[in-house]
Amino acid sequence: MDYAIYIASAFGAVALFLTLPRQGLSLAKVGALVGAAALGGLWLFLARTLPPALGIPGERIGLIYYYVFSALALGSAVRVITHTKPVYSALWFVMVVLSSASLFLLLGAEFMALAMIIIYGGAILVTYMFVIMLASQAEDESSPAGVAATEYDRVAREALPAVAAGFVLLAVLLSVMFGPMSTNTKAAGMTDRRIIGTYLTERTGAKIAERYSEKSGTGLNTVPQEVAGTKSLENVERVGFELFASHPLSLELAGVILLVSLIGAVVISRQRVGDEAQAAGIAPGQTNVEPRTEPGPSSPEVVGSVPGHV
Amino acid sequence: MDSFILSHFLLTGAVLFCLGLIGFVTRRNLIIMFLCTEMMFQGVVVTLVSFSRFHANDTGQAFVIFVLTIAAAEAALALGLVVLLFRRKRTLDAQAWSQLQG
Repeated sequence: MDYAIYIASAFGAVALFLTLPRQGLSLAKVGALVGAAALGGLWLFLARTLPPALGIPGERIGLIYYYVFSALALGSAVRVITHTKPVYSALWFVMVVLSSASLFLLLGAEFMALAMIIIYGGAILVTYMFVIMLASQAEDESSPAGVAATEYDRVAREALPAVAAGFVLLAVLLSVMFGPMSTNTKAAGMTDRRIIGTYLTERTGAKIAERYSEKSGTGLNTVPQEVAGTKSLENVERVGFELFASHPLSLELAGVILLVSLIGAVVISRQRVGDEAQAAGIAPGQTNVEPRTEPGPSSPEVVGSVPGHV
Repeated sequence: MDSFILSHFLLTGAVLFCLGLIGFVTRRNLIIMFLCTEMMFQGVVVTLVSFSRFHANDTGQAFVIFVLTIAAAEAALALGLVVLLFRRKRTLDAQAWSQLQG
């Protein structure tokens, strides 16, 4: 099995090297084909050794969805690092987030899937988009017309060593991950029944049914009373319990980190305003900035007065 | 959950991480570089969630929340810095700042 992993990693490395942006002729399509063949070949080889324990139909269907969403995620990830326009890279990253959120759904982590979409796909990516727009709009003024992407986006830096190092790391990781593995019984968390019996003793079927009918307002009880949470917890409940029962201090620290970054962002952006005003005087070597901030065709006394201000 | 399926999910996480790593090293656009760090986070998150499912232990998913916190904080600070740097040199090229090598 190790040899298949090594061979697939080598082909993947070649594929990614061909796909990375560079000068001269572009072999991106060849690279995409080789990459798809490497991934598909590896999956087919691994599926050949599918253990008979996977005979359960539900698991097998889950595995098919895994292949679909995983291929989507990995293909989009390749596009993120090979696309020459930053806006499209960010959009492909949204695709990576959505596909891995689907993978989380397969893993039964509904809360994580939705949090991922909201925070990554919604909040963080919008921030990235803002910065890309801010930065590239000004870029258009200085870059020559007719050039689709800037020079530093069109050429990858040190592509060969980077790809080689990355895929050697990948091959080592994969050979470990596909090695023998067994469940550690000590690693298992508390069962739902134990959590409910020890900590959530007030959680009875009658109360839950009452809450459900209160919320829906119709008096219609959609959840069977005996099933409704008396024996099993939902993913959100389990994660919330874990978070507040086992990591309360870390939760506080996370809040502090967010506060610090908030203050830091404010400080940085305030500093930017002051910097911009001084930039013309302090750094005369930067010819790009200077002519733009100066009034231009004004009287010479204005130009002469700039060092005086500093 | 079988360890075979676990290995498959780990494969996805590892490939995402390595692609992010390669992208971080090869791309010269500052914004794309930070996007690649987010992709490395994504790979780690996939790994954490699949181990969480494998061991039936929710600590992995609780860690994902902290990863999200760090990612949000990092995005805010890093993008603020990127805008600051862009104002200085009017370029997003990481090599424009190579005089820091001394």
